[in-house]
Amino acid sequence: MAQRVVITGLGVVSPIGIGIGQFWKSALEGRSGVSAIESFDPFPIEGYRSRVAGRVLHFDPAQFLAPAQAERVDRYAQFALVAAKEAVADSGLRLEMERPHRVGVIVGAGMGGMVMGEREITQLYQQRKPHRVHPNFIPVITLNSASGIVAMQFGAKGPNLTISTACSSSAHAVGQALNCIRNGQADVVIAVGADASITPLVFAGFCSLRALSTRFNDRPASASRPFDRNRDGFVMGEGAGALVLESLSHARRRKARMYAEVAGYAATSEAYHMVIPREDGTEVAATIRLALKDAGIAPSQVDYVNAHATATPIGDAVEIKAIKDVFKSRANRLLINATKSLIGHTLGAAGAIGTIVSALAIETGQIHPTVNYDDPDPACALPGISKSVQERPIRVALMNAFGFGSNNAAVVLKKLSR
Amino acid sequence: MTADSAIADRILTALAEYLKRDKRSIGMDYSLRDDLGLDSMATIELLFKIEEAFDLQIPDQDLQGLATVGDVIGYVERRLKPAASAKQAVKASVKRSRTRK
Repeated sequence: MAQRVVITGLGVVSPIGIGIGQFWKSALEGRSGVSAIESFDPFPIEGYRSRVAGRVLHFDPAQFLAPAQAERVDRYAQFALVAAKEAVADSGLRLEMERPHRVGVIVGAGMGGMVMGEREITQLYQQRKPHRVHPNFIPVITLNSASGIVAMQFGAKGPNLTISTACSSSAHAVGQALNCIRNGQADVVIAVGADASITPLVFAGFCSLRALSTRFNDRPASASRPFDRNRDGFVMGEGAGALVLESLSHARRRKARMYAEVAGYAATSEAYHMVIPREDGTEVAATIRLALKDAGIAPSQVDYVNAHATATPIGDAVEIKAIKDVFKSRANRLLINATKSLIGHTLGAAGAIGTIVSALAIETGQIHPTVNYDDPDPACALPGISKSVQERPIRVALMNAFGFGSNNAAVVLKKLSR
Repeated sequence: MTADSAIADRILTALAEYLKRDKRSIGMDYSLRDDLGLDSMATIELLFKIEEAFDLQIPDQDLQGLATVGDVIGYVERRLKPAASAKQAVKASVKRSRTRK
């Protein structure tokens, strides 16, 4: 029989806190991590239509990482490493005691090492000195630099993979970690999501896509407003989330603390459009149904949804349409929140952070507020969305993540009976 | 040909090139989405070309008002009027400075 899989450790680097304690406290307080971008030196910020972002301010790699480690990787991989270290410490695992080939690392990343990437490309084209391209450029921008450095940190010699499906990347990292343990390839998998690409070029690219909020540049904390009538696009964020997944039997043997069971997962493609979701929501609904089926859970058993909800006018409405389609009258009893209202859209980190929030919701029975939900959009309104903290025992949580490239993922978490 | 119809002609030509169809087959009242089949991404790409061609920046909130071909042409014409008069003013001042030399 396939192994059951549980979450035993959590770690996060986010615009509202580095570390689960600070993150969760800020989330429950409804504190926004979105701030104004003063400049993209040397570019004047006036050239950008959106001027706000959820940035991890005051991140000092030296506080968490050895200099040799920190210098070898880009900001997103530094975030990944810091979050993974916290998650492993939280799990109580002594990885040096594990069989190394039974410990895997799966990282989801949307953009990768864009800080160094942009710097080196700019220098090459300006100075035209190919011999001055940094020797570390290739290892840093190669998209699996984070999964590599995390494995090196812990001596994890099992499956080592990087998944890049834009904004759903780390939902798939969690899902593939589940399958990896279910299939017997590993006992433990560190699943991570990370992105840090609020850089002059990438940020300009999202502006040109007209995907970002532009009407709240003078009120950064109000800019990310999922499900609200005045939402006008997402706010770009950065960060990392890490989860230690292990087989239930492995976790029981060492009497580990278990946040939740990862009970089901679905991965689909809409095969429709690079950036636009199918407006009828049928593909999102199909993804949710597949994940619930994989978990062996009926829609009537679900208590809470951590929505993808980026605050784009179309995306939020499509997701709610799909939720109503799957859950029917149960949709009115679900608790729902949008973590992106607090930290913006962390792209490749979003699925991991959403899964962390879902695990904490099961653990604590607390649903963090959806901030800026001031004027509910009738196309999105459901009774379980609130600007305030909601408290209720959560037995089953659903986490959605959708990515450019017509990509969908859903993960189902279940409370373990004690 | 007046200045305004020149703008209309340039936009229609750009649109026809983008859609690979005869520009005479495109009506001013045609909806970008329903009649010409442009999804939101295609509309953004078209406006990106128009911004380049007319040296404009079109704010996100103005997109909602651009549903038909006529809307786009009217919008560009309105946006270019003050800029055109500003350009003439610059030219005039350049002329003056030259004559002073």
